Amino acid sequence: MRFAVETWSPEYGAPADDTALAAASPDVDLTAEAAPADWGPRRPGPAAAVPKVICFVDGVRRVDARVWVTPDDGVARQGICASYGAGVVRCDGAAELREVAVGRGLFCPVAGAEAIVTGHGRYRPHPVASEDPDALSLALQGGMADLEHRVSEAAGAGAGGDCELLVLDGPLRQRHRLPGAVGYVKTHQRSYLPEPLVGVVSALGDGERTPVFLIGGRWSRWSWYLRLPGERAHGWSGIVRCEASVDVPASAVTALADRVTLALPRFASAPHKDARAPQNLYPIAGLERELRHRLGDPLLLLRGLRKSAAAALRAPTTVPAL
Amino acid sequence: MVGRVIGTDDATPLEFWVGVAPGCYLQLDDVVALERVLPSGDTVRIYGLVTQVRARQEGARFDSDVFLIAEGLLPAEVSEAALVQATRFEPEIFVPPRPGEPVRRAAGAERDQALFFDAMERRLPAGLSRDDEPLYINLEFLDGTRGAHVNISGISGVATKTTYATFLLYSVFSSGVLGAEAVNTKALIFNVKGEDLLFLDHPNIDLSDDQAARYAKAGLPVGAFGSVEVFAPPRRGDPSVRPDVASRTEGVTSFFWTLEEFCRGELLPFLFADAEDDRQQYTMVVFNVTARLADATPTGDGGVSVEGVPCRTFVDLVDAIAANVLSEDPLVADRWAGRAIGGGTVNAFIRRLYGAVPHVRDLVRGDVARPDRHTVRFEQQLTVVDLHNLNDRAKRFVVGVVLRKAFREKEQSGSARPLQFVLLDELNKYAPREGTSPIKEILLDVAERGRSLGIILLGAQQTASEVERRIVANSAIRVVGRLDAAEAGRGEYGFLPQVQRQRATILKPGTMLLNQPELPIPVVCQFPFPAWATRHREAGANPKATASVPSDPFEGLPT
Repeated sequence: MRFAVETWSPEYGAPADDTALAAASPDVDLTAEAAPADWGPRRPGPAAAVPKVICFVDGVRRVDARVWVTPDDGVARQGICASYGAGVVRCDGAAELREVAVGRGLFCPVAGAEAIVTGHGRYRPHPVASEDPDALSLALQGGMADLEHRVSEAAGAGAGGDCELLVLDGPLRQRHRLPGAVGYVKTHQRSYLPEPLVGVVSALGDGERTPVFLIGGRWSRWSWYLRLPGERAHGWSGIVRCEASVDVPASAVTALADRVTLALPRFASAPHKDARAPQNLYPIAGLERELRHRLGDPLLLLRGLRKSAAAALRAPTTVPAL
Repeated sequence: MVGRVIGTDDATPLEFWVGVAPGCYLQLDDVVALERVLPSGDTVRIYGLVTQVRARQEGARFDSDVFLIAEGLLPAEVSEAALVQATRFEPEIFVPPRPGEPVRRAAGAERDQALFFDAMERRLPAGLSRDDEPLYINLEFLDGTRGAHVNISGISGVATKTTYATFLLYSVFSSGVLGAEAVNTKALIFNVKGEDLLFLDHPNIDLSDDQAARYAKAGLPVGAFGSVEVFAPPRRGDPSVRPDVASRTEGVTSFFWTLEEFCRGELLPFLFADAEDDRQQYTMVVFNVTARLADATPTGDGGVSVEGVPCRTFVDLVDAIAANVLSEDPLVADRWAGRAIGGGTVNAFIRRLYGAVPHVRDLVRGDVARPDRHTVRFEQQLTVVDLHNLNDRAKRFVVGVVLRKAFREKEQSGSARPLQFVLLDELNKYAPREGTSPIKEILLDVAERGRSLGIILLGAQQTASEVERRIVANSAIRVVGRLDAAEAGRGEYGFLPQVQRQRATILKPGTMLLNQPELPIPVVCQFPFPAWATRHREAGANPKATASVPSDPFEGLPT
């Protein structure tokens, strides 16, 4: 197998991000906790307790290089070489980094592609159905989600562990398999609420949430908005949306929402420390920095890939291990 | 393994950072070793000393992140790294250590290699490291073979300069490094402050057992100096010339010079601080008068007769000099003061001469019977000359005259061995950076020629920046105790790396920075509590107390 590294910097031609991947028009059931007429800001009741052990899970991914892979049939196909990582921060009085894992993969629509071995890492092949950039990106995200799943379980965040709350950065999507996991969405590409109920979100006080509603679609899930403490420049500042899997029974989801609403505000970041304050929580920001660091130096990896591609050209059939 | 060379800071052959492995620690002054394999397959062993250690939280970007981390909101990891200054490469291939190389603590033979102790044929115990391991000075850099002299700087009181100098002397005499020669090796000590050095032969009753044990670790026996003779100036106006000391009553001899010695020995210039300064007119008169005095007739009992006038006291002598220099008879005046010397110049001389009288009158005299018993001799191993009660002018006179005597005796002996050590504190007073004087000339002579003559100067001063450069520059061994912050920044301490300069401002008594030519960086050196008394309160039994009643009970009384 031969492959060539696109001379363009990998940042160019990046595929559509999460927004494009979201369902076009979600169907939302607002009556899960309260009838739309009874909607209003909710403060967790006295029965709700702050979880003692919270695990935050995050993953990062980076396209190290765009490559053209030429298998033995001689038809070059597009692919990406990417590094991705996932890790867990366990907060139980001390914030501790647990189970950081990094993977590197070659995502390309070539069956039986070989791994690319460079001086700085090995890119394992991940077969993809098409060379459509969106498909490649989704495959990469899938690889990252797998890694997140693995590290969460390894850190005792899954079933059987002592973790009381598992917060996954970003929408749940395929990660709903982790029991009790809560997706944590910082950005609001669209409003899931009809016009009259949007006012409830603006009216939320610090540490209050909206009633739980159900979002249908490919990955149907429970969801609610909550407001983190911080400066309030506009009605949506400090608002985040949480998601929980529909596997959580309707009877338990409000208690879960209450616990999340109690737990998260203390992790909210300050504007001078984080460009995405207060939504980018301290543990997640710290974890993300560490993960990006562990992905390795992008220039070094790109250079490694170019060297391997050149070596593969000289020896067309096999890629020598450096 | 205690850590690895880190790759986030440059590693150079001179200094490099070592990341400390989890569960380990490195502290200042630790000795470490590592290896690097060259492409040729040869191994270079690199040794070094830890001169700085830092700890930081990785993952924290702002100072206030520490609170988030402490509250358990932000994940972070504490990392420690130690700055190592390389001391030795074996073989001498000066390559940097590669990041990732494992670093280990050096102990035993490896520590000796790191600090060059293994290559020292004759090593003089110089104290202990902070973990009570022995430290050595290469004797070749002290005894004149390859270098000589020790220079010690530090703030008065807390730097323990004199104590360390006496410790070094103790080590020279008792460590056995000099072999049989130690018996005849002598030291001349000037006691400039208090009566601290008058008890060197007394055991120290305050010496605790664990301090005594440190002597064994340093490779030295515990004890006081064995053979000590103490000289002190006579009490003012005391006709029986009892020594002017308060705390030590026995085993002290008073010293002075007879008028005959003063005239014959040409000691007059030592009374003048700037006698060799060519810019001063009156120095011509000084040398003329000195030459005339050399012709004075001794009366046989210490006195002299100047131009037929008998002199028995220093006042008599000064009066006689004044009478001749200011004589009405131009022939006499010309002979004494010199030709065509102006009246103002003569007066300047006379004024200074009379100014010296109250300070020196008890030190130069011809009115005591058997004056030979009051001569400073170097018969014992240690000769202590007490100066602390003397005025600055008298101090300079005594130091100058005694040093010259020691220097001349050594010069005449024609052999560098056995060695003669000279311990002098307050060098800035005797050899200031500016100006010239007879005593500075002698000290310069000692500093520059002493190495070949076998005179080793253990000089100390508060501030090396105020001492004649050539004296400091000629000292092979430099020692620094606690320094003033402004002083520590001066160029005279260029041998101290930046971190050690900062450390010098916080050194505790008993801790010194020791620099010797073979080691590229100074080492922190501690020395045990003195086993000899350094003040009256600590003094045990006086070894001289057994002296019997003199055979002549009236001796010493004026005749």
